Parts: sequence; structure tokens; C-alpha cells
Amino acid sequence: MDINIQPILQSWPFLLKALMMTILVSALSTLLGFAIGVIVGALRTYGGRFANIVLGFYVDSMRAIPLLVILVWTFFAFPLVIGHSINAVTAGIVGLGLHLGAYVSETIRAGLTSVRRNQMQAALALGMSPFQAIRTIILPQAVIRMLPALGSLCVIAIKDSAIASVIAVPELLRQTQIVAGKTFRPFELYTAAMLCYFILCYPMARGVDRLYRRLAHLGSS
Amino acid sequence: MTDDPILIFESVVKRYGDLTALDGVSLTLRRGEVVCLIGPSGSGKSTLLRCANALDPVDEGRIRFDGHEVKSTESSVRLVRQRMGMVFQNFELFPHLTVLRNITIGPTTVLKLGHAAADERAKKLLAKVGLSDKALSYPSALSGGQQQRVAIARALAMEPALMLFDEPTSALDPETIGEVLSVMKTLADEGMTMLVVTHEMDFARRVADRVAVFDKGRVIEEGAPQEIFTNARVARTRDFLSHLGWHGEGAASVSKREEA
Repeated sequence: MDINIQPILQSWPFLLKALMMTILVSALSTLLGFAIGVIVGALRTYGGRFANIVLGFYVDSMRAIPLLVILVWTFFAFPLVIGHSINAVTAGIVGLGLHLGAYVSETIRAGLTSVRRNQMQAALALGMSPFQAIRTIILPQAVIRMLPALGSLCVIAIKDSAIASVIAVPELLRQTQIVAGKTFRPFELYTAAMLCYFILCYPMARGVDRLYRRLAHLGSS
Repeated sequence: MTDDPILIFESVVKRYGDLTALDGVSLTLRRGEVVCLIGPSGSGKSTLLRCANALDPVDEGRIRFDGHEVKSTESSVRLVRQRMGMVFQNFELFPHLTVLRNITIGPTTVLKLGHAAADERAKKLLAKVGLSDKALSYPSALSGGQQQRVAIARALAMEPALMLFDEPTSALDPETIGEVLSVMKTLADEGMTMLVVTHEMDFARRVADRVAVFDKGRVIEEGAPQEIFTNARVARTRDFLSHLGWHGEGAASVSKREEA
């Protein structure tokens, strides 16, 4: 098998832009997913029975529907509901974020529940409102305790951004497919794409592990 | 001490399911007074403390703090809690915050005090409890006694009118109990109003103005420490004290001399 990296060298600005898109989509969907996850996780833990049931339905549906189907639905079906089309990047970020949010919320919920009840009481005894106590005392400890799990979810968010290629988000996998199709060099191009994902994800996974080892004692009340 | 009552329990009843933890407790705490609650485990002492600042709601009776009824259902309960410092058996420092931040987080988030002013207040309190060098440490790096002293400083940072201590030395190694008790003694000497659940009979005898003896959710005897420890009227009190190896003041000081 001869190896020819010429197509990569020729189309690198195009592929670099695609890599940037992958990073953008991953970052924004992670941000959205974590925002949803923290709110849903906290509401399910502290918001009473009704909130727990309603949001539990959201979490369970996200876990029961394939991500691919959620993305396709957001891009092709959801515009019919709201009456105008949405661009692929937005649909991708929203779909990925909604999906990730369910998993983040379960992790956050587990973390919040694991913090000893007396920590909440100590915060309330200072005169804090339940909201202040959760925000400043309980949630930070929960996040520290759940760092390894949350780190895995970040890595999954980056990897899952590749699925957005099916709705034509111009991210790394999609654009690699285009170049590979034009140049007939699938081996070089897909290998390069694979390496890119690895280079993005591996340091993230290791970094979070290392961070956790340094911070773990801050989460153990 | 004045005759001015600051905290009044009126026939307080608290149940957990079938268990009646408090069975009609009435007790009055006057401004500047140190009252120790003693009695066997599970007799309701800690429950009374948790009802005082409405961490646990009462089922019957009422609690008045500084002229206002303490009600867990009303948001005004936060104003009550701001003015009642609480020290827990297991310290309950916030592990993700430095010692300094543990002390300032109440004043900055609840009282909306500026960070500079809160830091200054915290540093004074750290000096008071003898831990100025630990300001930037995290709780996990501190001994139990040090953590409890920080917890006292954290409660004091809210400038409370009253301090609640829930068995503050029960989770400590014997050699660190003394440092916590002496901080509490200093507070008492400065005129702080204190309600202390304790098994440290020596502390109760030396520091308390009054001692209330709990048994099965009731106050079975109440009086000056010398009365309770030397001349208890209720048989159950004498029984409890003798189980602790306490045979009156004279006996205690003899055993102390022997230890020394």
C-alpha cells in the first residue's frame, strides 16, 4: 500500500476549518449540556416530586432515543414544528446538548445526593437560602466528586460531535469524507481524522484524571 | 448576665415517626447565660438544639428567639439563623474552601459584607481561636481540634447573639478536646450566650451558669451546676452521673490529682 499525504497537505486549510468546527460544536454542546445537566440535576434532587417526574421523563427519553435520531429529528422534523428552518450547526449543538444534558444531570444528581446532609444543614445554619447553600456549598463538592464521570462525558461530547456529520454540519468527519471522496485517498484522510480525535480527547481524559487526583480531597466532607 | 430572656422553649414536642424525641420541653436561656444540656445519648438534647434554629421543625409548642417566634416554614427563619451560631459535632467545615473562605462565606453571601471587610473579620477570629497560620489551608489538612476551632470562628463571623454547640468535642481525640473547650470558655467569659450539649461534665461544672438534665425527651432536672453535680434531687440524674464515673465534685478533683 502506498501512502500519499499530498491530499492532506493540499486541503489542510479546509480540514483545519473542519477541525475548528468540531471544537466549536463540541465546546458549545458541552456548555449547553452542562448547563442543562446542572439545572435538571439540581431540580430533580431538590425541586420536589413534580419536577422530579417531569424532568425524569426528559432524562429517560434522551436515554431511550439514539443520538442519531435526536439529531436528525432536530434538523429535519423540528423546523416543521416551529415553522422555519434552522441551520445544521445550531441543530447539531442543540441536539448534542440536549442529549448530553440528560447524562450530565444524572451524574450531578448522584454527586449532590452523595454530599452529607449535614453540609446542607451547616450552610442553612449560617442563614443561607437553600439556593445559596446548593450553589456555594453542595454543588461545588458534587462537581469535584463527579469530576472523573463529568470528564468522560466531555470526551463523549467531542466524539459524538462526529455524528452531527449526518445532518451536514461541516465538522471534521464530514469534511474529511468530502476530501476523501474527491481524492480517492480514504486511508490517509480517515487516519488523519482519527488521529485528530485522539489528540483532542486523550489529553482531556488524562487531564481530568490528573485534576481529580489533585482536587479529590476538596470534595470529601 | 441579665434577666432578659433571649431564647424560650415552651412545651416543645418533636416526634420522628413513633419516636418522641422531645416530650414537652420548656427551657429559658437569658442573655449572657451559658446553659449546658446533659443526659444520656438519645435523650433529646441535640434535637432541642436543631429545633432552636429550625433545622428541625417542632410538632407542638413554640420557640421564641429575641421576642419573635421561630418558624421553620417562614423565610424569616433565615434571619433567626443568621443570629444563632451553630457548631456541629462533626465540624461540618466546607471541604472545598480554605479556612479563611469557610469563615467569610457566611458574611459575604448572607450578610453581603465586602470581601475585604469579611477577610479582616475572619483574620481577627482566626487569631482569637489561635489559628492565624492556617488561613490558607484546606480543612482536610487540619486536626479535628483545629477544624472545630475554625467551625467556631465560622459561626462567630456572623456576629451571632447566641451560640449553639452540639456535642462540639464528642468527635475529637482526647488530646485536642482541651483546645476547643478553652476557646469555648473564653467565649463564655466574654459574655456570649451559649447553649451547649455536652458530655464534658468538667466543662459544664466550671463554665455553665445552669445545667439542664435530659432524659427520654424531658428536662428532668435543672439548676446551678454545683446543685446538679453535688446534690442532684432526681434519682435519674444521680444515676446518670454515677454511670459517667462522676461521684460529686470532691471525687472528681481527687481523681484528677491522681492522674496528675
